[in-house]
Amino acid sequence: MSRRDDAPLVSIVLTGRNDGYGGDFTTRFFRTLRFNLQQLASRGISHEIVFVEWAPPAGSPLLIDQILGAVPELDPSICSWWVVDGRYQEALSLNPRLEYLEFLAKNVGVRRARGRFVLTSNCDVYFGRRVLEALERGALHPRVLYRAPRHDIKLAVDQSTLDWRVLEDPRNLDGPAHVLKPPYMGSATGDFVLLDRESFHEIRGFNEIYRVARIGIDRNVLVKALSSGISIADIGGPVYHVNHVGSYRISPAAYAGREAEAHWGDRRWHSGGVSYTNPPTWGLGEAPDRRLGEHLHYVDFSWDAVPPLVDLRRIVLPAARRGGPMPGHYVRKR
Amino acid sequence: MSRLLAAIASTLGIVSARRHRALQAQAADLKSAVAEWKSKATDATNRMRTLEQELRRQTQINEKLRASADKAKQKQGDIEKLRAQLQNAERELAGAREHLMVIEVKLDILEGAANVLDARTRTAVARSAGGTGAPV
Repeated sequence: MSRRDDAPLVSIVLTGRNDGYGGDFTTRFFRTLRFNLQQLASRGISHEIVFVEWAPPAGSPLLIDQILGAVPELDPSICSWWVVDGRYQEALSLNPRLEYLEFLAKNVGVRRARGRFVLTSNCDVYFGRRVLEALERGALHPRVLYRAPRHDIKLAVDQSTLDWRVLEDPRNLDGPAHVLKPPYMGSATGDFVLLDRESFHEIRGFNEIYRVARIGIDRNVLVKALSSGISIADIGGPVYHVNHVGSYRISPAAYAGREAEAHWGDRRWHSGGVSYTNPPTWGLGEAPDRRLGEHLHYVDFSWDAVPPLVDLRRIVLPAARRGGPMPGHYVRKR
Repeated sequence: MSRLLAAIASTLGIVSARRHRALQAQAADLKSAVAEWKSKATDATNRMRTLEQELRRQTQINEKLRASADKAKQKQGDIEKLRAQLQNAERELAGAREHLMVIEVKLDILEGAANVLDARTRTAVARSAGGTGAPV
């Protein structure tokens, strides 16, 4: 995995599909992407957008077919688009309630990102000023996983005119602003994980072994990072997320007492107490892909690329590094 | 002459009246002193007995304290042993909990895999039987 000289500073890895997630997904996504691209461009931050269109539903147009018209700021030459065959979702699933294996999708993007740093985020996350300033200054260090707290914007806020004034107005916040707490600096981790590319490859991305839940996989990557001797730091400011229907943040207790039925999986799994060792083929590394255009690829289905359904030896105890925090405490599930 | 008479009288055990009075007074003083010293000796003897008793009592207390100190020292040693055992037990418990977490996570995976395989098998069986593929 050598670094190319023309590698951008940062690859922004996003995943999604045209399935109406959270209600009017594409509108929220395009609006957010436009804002972020404008900010990145105005600050001269060299970047690429790596988008993984995971298991797109049949019968709906692909996002790639809509986005170039809807987001004029998106330069196809700095865009790397990967459409992943829908059969991977079914073949990899260990929980039929999970309709979207978000972190496997992210791994597809992380593996294929070219940037010196790789930022995994979500399609409805606005980068805050401090985040952009850190990128603009290039004030990033290898072997440091950067986190940003997520500030949730009220559902009722008019999203059609979202700008700094709206995002940074404390009256628009839905609840108190989150503060990251060491050592894990968790909380909405999936919205912002920034790490140098080599380290991301060293830890082999997010956990691909535990495919029973979507929730907690982001927190689990923090355990893996600490266990691998990578430190975790707050980048200095928030990212913003506009609440929407179906968001875990606005309905965390929706499955109280029947956690196993949640469409994000059972949140009580020991995501803070175990680590993992993904196979070298992580991120569908063995999957054949076809070029459909200059920056557009289709990841074809092959059983050879599908890891075993069960690979228990790859769930391991996290290592307590000298000076680092101890692994998580046991929490009784049942 | 008078000296000679005095010497003869002295030889015969005869003293002058004045001398006799003086000696009587001296004897009385001595008796009084003897009585006083006897009293002091009695007091001192009593005091000595008291002090001896006190010494015995203090010796007993000292022995008791020494025994208590020995016991306390032994207990302190026991406490330190118990503390070390407790720390070991806590470490082992933490280790057991970590292993328990790993086991539970693996069980989750096995349960998920079993459910998925069950569903796939049912679908395959239904298909091979010419059914619709719906769960049976």
